[in-house]
Amino acid sequence: MSNPNYSKEKKVGEGTYAVVYLGKQLASGKSIAIKEIKTSEFKDGLDMSAIREVKYLQELDHPNVINMIDIFMAYDNLNLVLEFLPTDLEVVIKDQNVLFTPADIKAWMLMTLRGVYHVHRNFILHRDLKPNNLLISPDGIIKVADFGLARAVPGPREILTSNVVTRWYRAPELLFGAKHYTYAVDVWSIGVIFAELMLRIPYLPGQDDVNQMEVTFRALGTPTDKVWPEVSTFPGYNKLQIYPPPSRDELRKRFIAATENALTLMENMLMMNPHTRWTTAQCLECDYFRELPEPSNPADIKLSK
Amino acid sequence: MSAGFDMELILSRPYLTRKQITRAQRNTIPDLRVYTQKKLQVLKYLSDLCVYMLLPRRTLETTIYYYDRYHLFNVFETEMVYPLATACLLLSCKQTETIKKLNEICITSFRVRKVPNVTTEMVEALRKRTLQLELRILEACSFDYRINNFLHIDECIVKAGKKISCSKEVCYTAWLIAYDVLKTDIMLVIPQHSIAVAVLKVAEDLLKTNNTAWNQDIYAELSTDIKSVSEAYFEVVNFYINMFDSCELRRNFVAPPSGPAPEITLKSFIDLKQEAGPEHGLDEVSNEMVDRDRLLAVDMHSQTVRERRHVLSRSLVIEEQKSLH
Repeated sequence: MSNPNYSKEKKVGEGTYAVVYLGKQLASGKSIAIKEIKTSEFKDGLDMSAIREVKYLQELDHPNVINMIDIFMAYDNLNLVLEFLPTDLEVVIKDQNVLFTPADIKAWMLMTLRGVYHVHRNFILHRDLKPNNLLISPDGIIKVADFGLARAVPGPREILTSNVVTRWYRAPELLFGAKHYTYAVDVWSIGVIFAELMLRIPYLPGQDDVNQMEVTFRALGTPTDKVWPEVSTFPGYNKLQIYPPPSRDELRKRFIAATENALTLMENMLMMNPHTRWTTAQCLECDYFRELPEPSNPADIKLSK
Repeated sequence: MSAGFDMELILSRPYLTRKQITRAQRNTIPDLRVYTQKKLQVLKYLSDLCVYMLLPRRTLETTIYYYDRYHLFNVFETEMVYPLATACLLLSCKQTETIKKLNEICITSFRVRKVPNVTTEMVEALRKRTLQLELRILEACSFDYRINNFLHIDECIVKAGKKISCSKEVCYTAWLIAYDVLKTDIMLVIPQHSIAVAVLKVAEDLLKTNNTAWNQDIYAELSTDIKSVSEAYFEVVNFYINMFDSCELRRNFVAPPSGPAPEITLKSFIDLKQEAGPEHGLDEVSNEMVDRDRLLAVDMHSQTVRERRHVLSRSLVIEEQKSLH
């Protein structure tokens, strides 16, 4: 037994199931984040998001996935100790004072894909990838965070909810209400993030679930049975306006600074048919990461003016 | 209160040896026979709840693990068993992604226990007690979610059975045995995949199929080892020898239509035990080590402990020790 190991210094945020504090590991003086789980406010007990977060972070250990250092009970409250990550990709994208280069985007994509690849090879679906959940460490490393919606890859007969992933980053199979889906939902989200990094504005900002389909298919084409067999059997498919997929030229005009290999990667991450969409392994092996410019050194990327 | 007794650091140990379990239960279970009897009632209650709510075997299995684990560090009270079992089920539903509303669980709880004239106040009281217990159960497990996560006995029976080409009859018999396994506390000792291999072995031996050459290579292929499987094997065989009359296998066993169709009797298990030779299994720790083991004497309700930290890795404990010196 010894004295408490952590101090809570400043409240930095509050979500539905937790309050986040900035703190210190007293022995080392290292900055940490403490997520205090609200245990008494829910009619069904401990929130599922808190359970999922602990469950999957215990399984994962990777430089591009947030590290859960410790769990402790204090005064009957459950606290998760996480590594301190001062900013996230959403803040960076929105900050007009920050200028970033194609090499910086490549570095962020590489780190994100490595993190998500590790999540997938541990048979876990993240189901909430968005810039806000890609945290950045003081030395510029991207860390995949917020596993509150994550789940293990289901058995063949298990039915999943399609009400996952923040709307703008939601894959078409989820928009159609699929009850079975795969790692491909996460790859779609990374594809949308990639587009957002190149445009510096959200790529598919739907206003509601119906509008999200409209926005998605207008930008990337409405899927047909030819590219995605049996897509027309999803309920609600018949009401859709059919848009043609964008030509390479249209994509070039929209993403002016993107190289051909960058567009190929984006197109394959944003394939309508989840079966033909690239896996994280395919993404990591693509030519975009082999061509110049080389990805920036994360520590050299300036995130404030 | 001493300032030095503010914080406790606990290294998660999801599996313990027999001696360690006996020592922990000495502090929490005054009469093991009463506990065992009540557990059978609890398993019946939970099984009914799971059937009623269409929950799979893995949810039931995880619930029983929580129930047994809770009683290693918390005193067994007969009047608390149903709220506790309900809380274990609630948590298990969350752990195995078979989520149910607590209110639904509580209402069904009264229904399966056939409690007459259930009022909303009674449901609310059960709901509150269940919620109070949820964190306590997690604490007894050191918030360690690595177990009961990807591995479950019934699923492993199918996977391992397929891998070693067991027949459908063997797998089905193993699946029946796996239900009886929940009446023991072997899940506190051995991981689920090793239990699955052990019950497959028992099923093969019972049906005399001689399909698998149970050697090191097979165990290695199934990611287990002979000691773990033997430990579970003898636990299962001993269970049937001691409690054959109340087992589910006897009631539900269907002899395979083809091949030798042995009848399963108490003698079948006595024969299995004889054929298996002297009991062997996991290495046991010494009495001195058990005496020195502070986890087994930890009081989860101690008021003098302000903060209780649970870690999964030994390296964190070593780091901590270094920082203290």
